Amino acid sequence: MALKTSAPRKSGPGRANGSEGIDTIPLRYGDDPYVWACWLYYEDGMTQGEIADAMGVSRATVNSYLADAREKGIVNISIEPARLASLTIAQELKRHFGLADCLVVPNDDDTRPLIGRLGAAGAQALSKMIKSGDTLAVAWGRTILSVGEHLEMGALQDVTVVQATGGTTASFAYTPELTTAAVARAIAARCVNITAPAVVGSAQMHDMLLAEPLIREQFDTLARANRIVFGISSLRPNSTIHTSGFFESVPLQHYLAKGAAGVLAGRFIDERGRPVAGPLDDRTIGISLEMLRGIGTRVAVAGGFDKVPALLAALRGGYANVLVTDAATGAGILRADGVTSLDGKLSQRQKSTPVANSYRTHVKKFLNNPNDVVEEMLDGLIASHRSYLQPVGTSRRALVARNGPRPGKVGLVIGGGTGHEPCFVGYVGKGLADAVALGNIFSSPPPDPIVKCAVAASGGAGVLFVYGNYAGDVMNFEMAAELAEEQGIPIRTVLTTDDIVSSPVEDREGRRGVAGNFFVFKVAGAACDLGMTLGECETVTRKANDRTYTVGVALESCSMPQTRRHNFEIGPDDMELGMGIHGEPGVSRERVRTADEIVDTIMDNIFKEMKAEPGDRVAVLVNSFGATPLMELYILYRRVEQRLAAKNIEIEANWVGHYCTSLDMVGASISILHLDRQLTELLHHPCRTAILTINAPEADGAAKS
Amino acid sequence: MSETAARALAQMFERMSGVIETEKDHLSELDGAIGDGDHGITMSIGFKAVTAALAALDLDSASPSDVMSTAAGGFLDAVGASTGPLYATGFRRAAQALAGRGHLDLAACRDMLAAMSEGIRDRGKAQRGDKTMLDVWMPAAEAAATAVANGRSKPEFWKAVEIAAENGAAATATMVATKGRAARLRERSLGHTDPGAASAAMLIKAMAAML
Repeated sequence: MALKTSAPRKSGPGRANGSEGIDTIPLRYGDDPYVWACWLYYEDGMTQGEIADAMGVSRATVNSYLADAREKGIVNISIEPARLASLTIAQELKRHFGLADCLVVPNDDDTRPLIGRLGAAGAQALSKMIKSGDTLAVAWGRTILSVGEHLEMGALQDVTVVQATGGTTASFAYTPELTTAAVARAIAARCVNITAPAVVGSAQMHDMLLAEPLIREQFDTLARANRIVFGISSLRPNSTIHTSGFFESVPLQHYLAKGAAGVLAGRFIDERGRPVAGPLDDRTIGISLEMLRGIGTRVAVAGGFDKVPALLAALRGGYANVLVTDAATGAGILRADGVTSLDGKLSQRQKSTPVANSYRTHVKKFLNNPNDVVEEMLDGLIASHRSYLQPVGTSRRALVARNGPRPGKVGLVIGGGTGHEPCFVGYVGKGLADAVALGNIFSSPPPDPIVKCAVAASGGAGVLFVYGNYAGDVMNFEMAAELAEEQGIPIRTVLTTDDIVSSPVEDREGRRGVAGNFFVFKVAGAACDLGMTLGECETVTRKANDRTYTVGVALESCSMPQTRRHNFEIGPDDMELGMGIHGEPGVSRERVRTADEIVDTIMDNIFKEMKAEPGDRVAVLVNSFGATPLMELYILYRRVEQRLAAKNIEIEANWVGHYCTSLDMVGASISILHLDRQLTELLHHPCRTAILTINAPEADGAAKS
Repeated sequence: MSETAARALAQMFERMSGVIETEKDHLSELDGAIGDGDHGITMSIGFKAVTAALAALDLDSASPSDVMSTAAGGFLDAVGASTGPLYATGFRRAAQALAGRGHLDLAACRDMLAAMSEGIRDRGKAQRGDKTMLDVWMPAAEAAATAVANGRSKPEFWKAVEIAAENGAAATATMVATKGRAARLRERSLGHTDPGAASAAMLIKAMAAML
């Protein structure tokens, strides 16, 4: 450190502070000259010379104050996280795949479609690369057309833009001709089209066309290309490869069967980037993969999760040496290729807290033999709930309500895996479900007990199946429905899909069923008990499902009795939004916030979909995932009530407690049923089960708010 | 000959059950990353039920087809979940494909693999690239067909099938799940091998070892 004794410029005695005397530090900086220097530099925008004057020290001292301040963490220079993340991802992609360059667009801008953002980024990359005298080959595609539309370039001379493949007659906007023309126009370049079809009828025709002087000349231009820009298409069912009609579908199936993972410039590659041979190879007019790889600058512009295998293949095969993609896809590619260092780098350099020595690897549980958990639970609950239900014959995986099924009444069968208690078994009884089929922990029951339930519940008016929308449940209940119908029992099915964050609104049918089951079962049970027809029961149950909205938040994962380990870890300070009742990881992981903030996030999500008017009525369920105590549930309910009151929405009824759990998961969900007159009546219809009793003669009416 | 073929299939299921038992924690761990962490347990329960059901079968008089349909029934009743109907349907189709056949020659093995793969595809309504067990069964069945078409020897046939299965399982790490519970994870499923695909590759390895 440079030592300099400078005369105090301001009045007042100089004070020894640090290694040199400086002016009295204004009070607000405490005794810290570093903070003072930083404030003047970063906040007041003074130069180091001005600061030296103000502080009465040398410039070199100021310089070292500023440097030390960063070391000491007094100053943190932060880049906006989304931008930082894309920079980090770009850097990792460049390193991992040995790219010449990489540009990654952040995913924080949802206002523009991905294609447009990629196009703009691709244009930016190209504009830095193209020089006078270049020959740029252009492959067709939606993304590359977007590049052309975004491209703006100053005056370049003698640039040629050449179409990388033959043309098509397809009726879409991003044909090879149009894509090439758009790029050529943007840079005022000479445009060379390949005036032959991209795919011709035979290999002979291919050879004949290439022998034509005109086309040969065009190909010579293509062979001179020193840069190429191309998109990468996946072979997924929704990709443009299928929808554009560019390729015939039969040969496509051939390439798929041979393991094709991606298409670039009309050529097929497998997951390692090796060319895949097929019937179109000899009939395709356009750049070959070998030619492509020989070009100096090879810019690939592509994004979207479905393209990850295709992009990975193109990178592994060395077809691209410049990549333009988006942050989520880029991170996906790295993860898919086993790059694990990324996650650490993205998590903002958090100091990892050392794991305490008392860290437990196993969760304590009341168990005998872990493999007998379900059977022993069934022993206990059948004994405990004897007055409500009994096994169907000898099968304890099929339980039927006492006083439930009766002639002429539609039977209600519910079911699913165990581990969610009191769901599903607690909702079997008069006025609610007639029978329940139970599987292993978190596993659908097989068809056999479901059929037994259908037979037991049938009163000759048909049977309604209501269960959560999970692949396993759907397959088993569907098989059971087929078997029951063979026995002459008409079956209708309503899948519960109340978890609104499990899939976007456009994919409502893809959502999973969670704690909102409670409301859907209740309405279905009442409809059946009132003697409605099978069709009417189905319709009103569907309505209840459509008007039930659930969002869950987990704080800790659950643990299976067999493993006694957490299924996965949620970070020490994190929570997971949208966690399912089987402990499926949620849709986003974030820092734990206050209870009110969490409820606000949940309610904001629900209000986005629930079109409730002031004065409307709802039913509320605040449900524990297993380990979260009532105390916390009430804290959540308190805020739910406040949010609804602020919108002048009235709570007709509420339930707070354990209604649909996930073993010992820590967390909770909030479900709202948006009532109408019919649903209100059905909700209040009497029922008597082990867990829920409403308006039944013996009931104490506690459930009603 | 028929008793030998039936016995060979029964021993194949024994082997499968053994492999699954050994690997069940590993499979559950894979599932924990993208699913609900029960795949190893589910498979273990299923294959124990299969071997129990086969133990009750008189292998001296049973046909290969009987073995497969008994396995299908045992698996389905024990498991449920999604694995239950998928494998039960696969085994049932395999039983149909083997009906009337006493020998497990390579053509029969090829047809059995094709039937398994188609049954699983039809029941689960998945396709290749969806990051499921189908990404193992389909390439394995195709490799089998190619091997028979090219007149490969038995060791070459099974080697090709095994490699196709292993590559298929490994490739699921690069896929985004669109079926089952992992589908909700979208891009977060990347980098993780699908547990159903991993177990499928193990089963095929057991087949290769025993048939």
